[in-house]
Order: sequence, then C-alpha cells, then structure tokens
Amino acid sequence: MTGHVIRVKGAVIDISFEGEEDLPPIHSAVFIAKPERDTGGPGRGHGGGGGANLGSGGATVVAEVASHVGAGVVRCVALSPTEGLRRGMEASSDGKPLAVPTGDAVLGRVLNVFGEPIDGGPPISSADAPRRPIHRRPPSFEEQDTHLRMLETGIKAVDLLAPYPRGGKVGLFGGAGVGKTVLIMELIRHVAAEHGGVSVFAGVGERTREGNELWLSMKRSGVLDKAVLVFGQMNEPPGARLRAAYTGLTMAEAFRDEKAQDVLLFIDNIFRFVQAGAEVSALLGRMPSAVGYQPTLASELGALQERITSTRRGAITSIQAIYVPADDYTDPAPATTFSHLDATTNLERSIAEMGIYPAVDPLASTSRLLDPRVVGERHYNTARGVQAILQRYKDLQDVIAILGVDELSPEDRRIVARARRIQKFLSQPFFVSEQFTGIPGRFVPVEETVRGFEEILEGKHDDLPEQAFYMVGTIDEAVEKGRAMARQEAS
Amino acid sequence: MKPVRERTQPPARRPVRVIVRTARPLSPELGQRIRTYLSEALGRPVAIFFEHDPSLLGGIALQVGNTVVDASLSRSLEELRAKLADHLRAAVMVSAPGGPGGVGLSRETLRSAIELVRSYTPAPVVEEVGTVIAVGDGVARVSGLPSAMAGELVAFDGGGEGMVLDLDVDAVGCIVFSGGDRIVEGTVVRCTGRVADVPVGEELLGRVVNPLGDPVDGKGPILARARRHIEGPAPGVADREPVNVPLQTGILAVDAMVPIGRGQRELIIGDRQTGKTSIAVDAIISQKGSGVLCVYVAIGQKASSIAQTVSVLEEHGALPYTIVVAASASDPAPLQYIAPYAGCAMAEHFMYSGKDVLIVYDDLSKHAAAHREVALLLRRPPGREAYPGDVFYIHGRLLERAAKLSRERGGGSMTALPIVETLAGDVSAYIPTNTISITDGQIYLESDLFFSGVRPAVNVGLSVSRVGGDAQVPAMRELSSHLRLDLAQYRELSAFAQFGADLDKATQAQLHRGERIVEVLKQPNHEVLAVEEQVVMLFVLSGEWLDDVPVDQTRWFVREFLVHVKEAYPSLMRRIRETGRIDEVRGDLGRALDAFKKDFAGVMGRHAESA
Repeated sequence: MTGHVIRVKGAVIDISFEGEEDLPPIHSAVFIAKPERDTGGPGRGHGGGGGANLGSGGATVVAEVASHVGAGVVRCVALSPTEGLRRGMEASSDGKPLAVPTGDAVLGRVLNVFGEPIDGGPPISSADAPRRPIHRRPPSFEEQDTHLRMLETGIKAVDLLAPYPRGGKVGLFGGAGVGKTVLIMELIRHVAAEHGGVSVFAGVGERTREGNELWLSMKRSGVLDKAVLVFGQMNEPPGARLRAAYTGLTMAEAFRDEKAQDVLLFIDNIFRFVQAGAEVSALLGRMPSAVGYQPTLASELGALQERITSTRRGAITSIQAIYVPADDYTDPAPATTFSHLDATTNLERSIAEMGIYPAVDPLASTSRLLDPRVVGERHYNTARGVQAILQRYKDLQDVIAILGVDELSPEDRRIVARARRIQKFLSQPFFVSEQFTGIPGRFVPVEETVRGFEEILEGKHDDLPEQAFYMVGTIDEAVEKGRAMARQEAS
Repeated sequence: MKPVRERTQPPARRPVRVIVRTARPLSPELGQRIRTYLSEALGRPVAIFFEHDPSLLGGIALQVGNTVVDASLSRSLEELRAKLADHLRAAVMVSAPGGPGGVGLSRETLRSAIELVRSYTPAPVVEEVGTVIAVGDGVARVSGLPSAMAGELVAFDGGGEGMVLDLDVDAVGCIVFSGGDRIVEGTVVRCTGRVADVPVGEELLGRVVNPLGDPVDGKGPILARARRHIEGPAPGVADREPVNVPLQTGILAVDAMVPIGRGQRELIIGDRQTGKTSIAVDAIISQKGSGVLCVYVAIGQKASSIAQTVSVLEEHGALPYTIVVAASASDPAPLQYIAPYAGCAMAEHFMYSGKDVLIVYDDLSKHAAAHREVALLLRRPPGREAYPGDVFYIHGRLLERAAKLSRERGGGSMTALPIVETLAGDVSAYIPTNTISITDGQIYLESDLFFSGVRPAVNVGLSVSRVGGDAQVPAMRELSSHLRLDLAQYRELSAFAQFGADLDKATQAQLHRGERIVEVLKQPNHEVLAVEEQVVMLFVLSGEWLDDVPVDQTRWFVREFLVHVKEAYPSLMRRIRETGRIDEVRGDLGRALDAFKKDFAGVMGRHAESA
C-alpha cells in the first residue's frame, strides 16, 4: 500500500491512502523514506530506523497507525523524529505491525525500539532471529498461571515487608532522585546473576548515561550473555518511548512461549510509557482527561500490563520502576499502575532525607504474597509486627514533637526505641552504590532478615546503640558493630 | 469485496489569484493583454491585481497562486550582489582563515570577480511562496508553501524569520522569531531550505549572539565556517563512557561535597536570589586555562542582568573562551524557546571535535514557561500546572545531548549546568522534579542559609552528585570524604542544641568542628580556588589545627595560611597540582601549618594584649 503524507503535527503524521483498495490497519507500521539531507558533524548515527524492514539504510521515518480518520486518511504516531518531513512524501505499508528479532540471537545485544543493534556490533540477521510483531493479544484466561512463590532478593526491606512473587509483577514507586534506578540496578545484580533464565531490560524514557553504565557493568560481570537491553530513552521521540516497552516485552514473550523459559523483565520506567502516550494524545485529536493525561490511559496501560504475565509454559517476572511526578501518588499515572501489580515498593523522599537507603516506606509498600500461607507464619507475624510498631511510632511522633520523648509512658518509650532501631535496620549497603558509601554491599538471605527483625521486636537488642543498626547486613553484624562502638567509647 | 471509498471532492474551479507587480503603472491596454494571456495559459479563470512598486526599478514580477516568477531588475541586482559577496567571502576565507582582519584582495580575486559580473545573465527567478492568513502572539498561519519541511526556517517579506512547526493540508503553522510586528495578513513567506540551524565554531568565542546566531554585541559580523542544526540526536548508549575527569567549579563547597565530572548534568536549583547564577558563572571563570570552552545561555532574563553577567565574565578574563547566547525577557517566546537548543548545538560542535565544553542554561524554568506559551498558542491542551504534555521531553532531549563521549567518538565532553528556580523552596513541584529526574544530581541552594550568611548557600543534605565522586582528584576525595557527614551531623545537632540541652563532650566537639567547617566553606562570589588551594584548605580542616582558633577568625586563618604556603612553599603547591595526591606532602604541609600556627598565636596574643 502506498500513500502520501498530507499533514505533520509534532510526532503525529496524517497519511492519505486515497485510491488504495485497503488501508493499513490500526497498529500496522508505515515507512516514509526521507531523502538524505546534509547534517552537520558526527553523532547523527540513528536518525531513522526500520532499515532492516525496508532493506535500505537511508533515513526512514517509521510510524504506527493509530486511527483512521476518514476519506482514506490514516493518523500515525511517528517512532522517529519528524523534522525534515514534507507533505507529499511517499509512505508505504504492508499492513503488518512492526516486528522485532527474538530468540537467542538477541542475547548479549543492545537494541533500539526497532530491534536494531545500537551497540556498534553486527546487524542481527533475520535467519537466526525470527521476527515477532510487537502487537499481540495477552494470554487467554485459561493459560494464566496462578501459582505463588517467593523470589528472594537479598534486600531486607523488600523481602520482609513486600516479598516479590516469582512470575509476578512488581512496581518500584518513587519521586525524582529517591533511588529507584539504584534499587533496580541492585535487583538486577542480585536476581539476574542468581537467576537461571534470561533477562530483558527495557529502558524507557530514562537517562542514556545509566544505559551505558548498565551495559558496561553487565559486560564486566558476565550477565550480558544472558540478557538483552532495549532502549527508547528520554531524548527519543514519544513514539519510540511508547513502543520500547513493547519491543522488550515481545522478546521476553518469545523466550517464555517458544523456549518455555523463566524470564526476568525489567522496565525502567513504566511512567515514561504513559507520559509518551500523553504527549501524542492531544495531537491525535483526543480530548484531554484528568491532569492532561490521555483519556485512554487505563486501557493503554492495561493492554501492556496484561501481556506481562506468567503462563503454564513459562514465567515472566517483571520488575518495573514507576516515577511519581511531583511526588504526588494521586497522579493518575502511578495511581492507575498500582492495580496491575502483585507487589509494590514505595520509595519516600522523607526517608531518603534521613539517609536511609533503600528509602522504602515500610507502611506503604505491599505485596499479595505477605500471607501466612505463602511466606509462613513466622515471616508474616514478624512483618506485621514491624509495621505495627512503626505505625505506633508514627502516631507518637506528634506527641514527641510537642512534649518531648521524656513525657511518654515507659511502654511507649520502649516502642519508640525499638522502632528507631528497626528504621535504621531497614537500611542496607548496596553493591551498586559501594563507590558512594564506601561500604561493601550485602546480600541478606530471607531467613536471616526475618530472624533479625524478630529479635529486635522481642527486645533482644535494646542495649545496642541505634547507630549499630545503620547500614549493616544481618543482625549478627549489627551486634558486632555495636560491640565495636562500645569498645571505642571505652578506650 | 469492500466498498470502494468515496474520493475526496475535486478541487473547486476557483479563480487563481494573480498579482502583477511593476515599477510603473501599466497602461490599461497592456493590462488587458496580460489578463487575457494569463487566463488562456492557465486554463482557469483569474482574479488579477495590479500593483506598482518603484523599488522594483524595472521589469515585472508575477505571483500566480503560490508561485512567484520574478523578472524584476531589483531582483537581478540582488542576486548578482549575493553572488559577488559569496565569491569574495570565499576568497577572504582561503587567504585568511579565522577572521576578517584587514585583508586586501588579490589581483586574481578581483579578476575572477570581474569575470563573474561580466558573465552574469539575468533570468527570471521562479520560487514557491506562501502568504500569511493569520498572525498574532508570535504564531503565524501561512497558506501555500507546499514543500515546506517540518522544522524548516522560513523568511517573511520585510525581514522576519520563523520556523515551521505544523504542516497542515493546505497551510502551515509557524512560530515567529523576529520581525513579528511587521508581519500582516497577506505578507509573502518563503522557504529557506534550511532546517533551523546556527553558526558554530571558534569564531563565536568571546561573542554575544541571539538564539539565531546573529551577534548582538556590536563587535561586527561573525564569519563562522560551519553551521549545525539546533536539534539533533543525543549520543547513544554505545557512544558514551562513564564520567571520569573532574570539572573544577572553583567553589570549595561544591568541589568537595558535590563534585561534578566532565560530561555530567548537574542541576542548580533554589529560590530566586540565592546565588544560582553566581555558582554557574564561577564555574565558567574557573575554567580559565583548563582548556574547557564555555557556553552561557540566558533565557528570559532581564537584558541588564545578561549584560552584567557578560561584564563579570569579561572582567575575569573568561569571555575569550565563552559564547553567550542571549534571549532576553523581551524577546518573543519562540526565540526564548529555541535558545537552549541553539546554545547546545554550538557546544556540541566542540564536543564532537574532541574538546571539553561547559554549558549553562540560565534558566530552564523560564524556558518551560516560554514553551508553555508557544504550545498554548498553538492550541495544544494543557496538563499539570498548564504545561503541555511534552514539557519533560523538551528538557530530556536537551540535557541528554550533554555526555562524555567514548574514546572512539573522540573523547570530548559536554557538561551541563541547568538552572531551575523554585518557589518558596518547593523542590517537589512539577518542573523541579522533572529536571531532577533528568540530571545526574543537584546543587540545592537555600534562602535561609543565604540570609544567615552561609554563602554559597548550598544545602548539603539535599544536594547530591550521582557520578562526580568517581571523577574527583584523589587528594580531594580523601580529604573531603568525611566532610559531608560531619556537616550533616552538625546541622542536626545545632538544631537540637538550640534548646539549650546539656551537651556531652563528644557532641560539643561535633558542634565546635561544624562551626569551623561552615566558616571555611564560605566563599565570596567570583573568587574561584584552584584545586591545589582547595586541597590545602581541606587539609587544614582535616586535623585538629582549627580547634583552638576562634570561630570568627577561622576563615582569616585559613586564607592567611594559604597565602603563606603559596609564597613560602611554591613547590608543595606544584606537587599537589601535578600529582593530585596528598600522601607525599602530608608531612611537609603539617609542619608548615604547625609553624604558621605558632606565629599566628603570637599575632593573636599581641592583638589581645593591645586590646
């Protein structure tokens, strides 16, 4: 099918297929060949894309059909920059969605939204990498896997209060600069390294520098051979950010469906996917909804999230970072995302300001797995005990602010002391931030985590100074640190 | 079989609008002949208008619909003049690259110029034009221009410039950069064939330009040899390498506790009048002699503030390696909107040729406001705080272009210091959190600190640098590692100590030390410190030397010691500068400090006696 460009508005292109018998259906890819133009200097490596689909390396604008607006005109979202497009330029489509390479050939590679390598390596031939369309239906009801098992992360605050389900979906919520990316990097380090299957990392609308650092560190640690990285970062047009998560997901699905493998899917950051949709929504002619978001926010997110699921053949465990704009958890984007997740870890600025990293909010983080039938009575009781004591401390804080700690009853004073120890003990040195803290990272097995908090709750460590619990791994280490501090004081 | 869709309606047989322009009024007979001829030649009815315009000098110019056939004398002369100017400029460039200078033309150049004039045959110029349908608020809607590109620059008759933003079926939407007051309905618009670009290169250093690259400092034209698109892709994942070289800002508090590396994006954030611009300007001044080139982009500021900044740079000898891109508050919003991209393109040119660049965007809050104005005028729906949906993207794609390039890409770097203004210290507002989520850290300035005399008013608790620590000079890293923690604890304790609680010895020592650290970190504007000077100051802080110096004399003591070391032990300073290490000079420096302190105590004692 051939048509021509009749209208360009930002990242939205109208293409007339007037006179053609068929129109490219919704979600199909359309290619517009842009004549070469003189561009200053180097650094213009990936101006276009979709070269593999067209068999030419020229600058091609790839767009995806979003709607049919009548009289043979289709409205498309551009996945490449639209600067330099003219009306009348020829556009072609085979009526199929964008398809990306999948399978073992993509492992160890860094790809863009079109599935093209951007790591400077050789192209991926379609012979060893079967292409799969990025749009497809979610697995049916009967294919859903309902088995709940826990995924050990080695991070105390996570394992105790919001254990992650294997084969489930997890969200890390947080405002700007509270440590989402650091936590996701630590999780990659712990989980991907221990995990037997493959990992897919989709970088959506985040910093390219972090992508570069992740790539180098995965290369160094040898995890890269079992991983594929897909990027549509914050410098790329909204269409690319809108579809990069799909590209990554399609690759994960292929491992699950065709190789029956357990796959880890990391998405940093799913909010940027929603945001990209909001950027093009108005240009597509939709009325804005709450806070200027697209009216289709819930359905767009649902269409993506419902595909991230475990089936009877294989599991996809997905860990997603969700940016909270202006620290406002009632913003429609994070609020809508909550319902899709099995476990959520909320990162809080006020906790980060206290210097406690990871800045996990113990009272707001939740997990469907925190159930005595899944994690066992002991773990469950410890976790709920920790939350109860922290909640009590929170309630007392106003009283303390006005009257001072000395005015509390002895019982409440003991609660405050233990709560402060628990707060400190929820911090943990990370491997990935060793260069900043100067403290080597710790992986704490879940039994150790439960034992540690249980002992604090029981009051076994009321004699240790608060500082002993800060930035340590197991409870034994805290005891050791406390003794060392006491010795130093004495001398 | 699907039903064949209805075709869109065929174009109506509307009369073609034709404008005939001549230098003198035409006789009625001649006019009638032109009318008959045109309607036959076009095969359509024509609506013909005759205009006479003495500035044409002679000949005739026809505008038929959106096409102009210009066979006037003035156009031919204009064309010849342009050709000659190009020719001569090329000749001057070859003979004296780098500047206009006082260049005489060679005989050969003159001869070829004469040949050019002699062989010139005037021919009618056929070009595509558009006409303004509607204009106002810095936005114009133009009919015609069928081959306009998205992002292309257009020229309005009468001297205005603009850029195509929207392509519609029979019209284009433009933003107007300049000459907006001369554009009226019916003004003729021409495509330039250029996607918005600016001149780049060393010729711009030391100059003040507007966002289109035109000089505004009255120092004559800029003969740049290269141009670069203002928008461009950022370096990809594989084109980069981790930040590993420090960028010294010359401000002790920043270099010690929020270190910045080359290729990093560090946000400077704070309320108005807390010294945000001063930090950026000091960072530029501090690059003197380091080989780092600078670009300072002023967006939406008072013209007088920009002029002041330029004069500060000039005074400190920083202008020769700096380009200033100025879009003042009175410039149209579209011009303010493109200013950071223009500055970025100029910086990019240096980065891709392997150099290190520092770019300051002062400030992005005003840039976001300018973008909001343009977007709302173009009828894009508003979102949070009435900013359009892509307000994150405009800053994301701008700041992602700052990077440390890998060795294969030439190893250049662009360090960006964007500035964002907060209201009443609210860092969790929309634009501040957006930019925090893009940059690699932030320097947070607080007005409470500022007014209590702590200047630069850096809030150490909320300021971070996510990558700069790796890039710090070893001596700095070693000496400043505990500074942050000490200072944070001091702040916590001093709030506590206000209640007059009984303090134990350890706590008193903490407070004592904290007070002195705060004193030493105070630094006046534009007095930048070299890395070895900072190392010496941090060294003084690292031991117990200051414990018995009165707080109000701490600064004086440290400064005097610094002067003393520079005079008496120049070799020590050189060693620190060259090796970047402290270990080997630790002993010497300690002894020098002991001796200095004895003298100082003497001075102090005499001082006390005389008093």
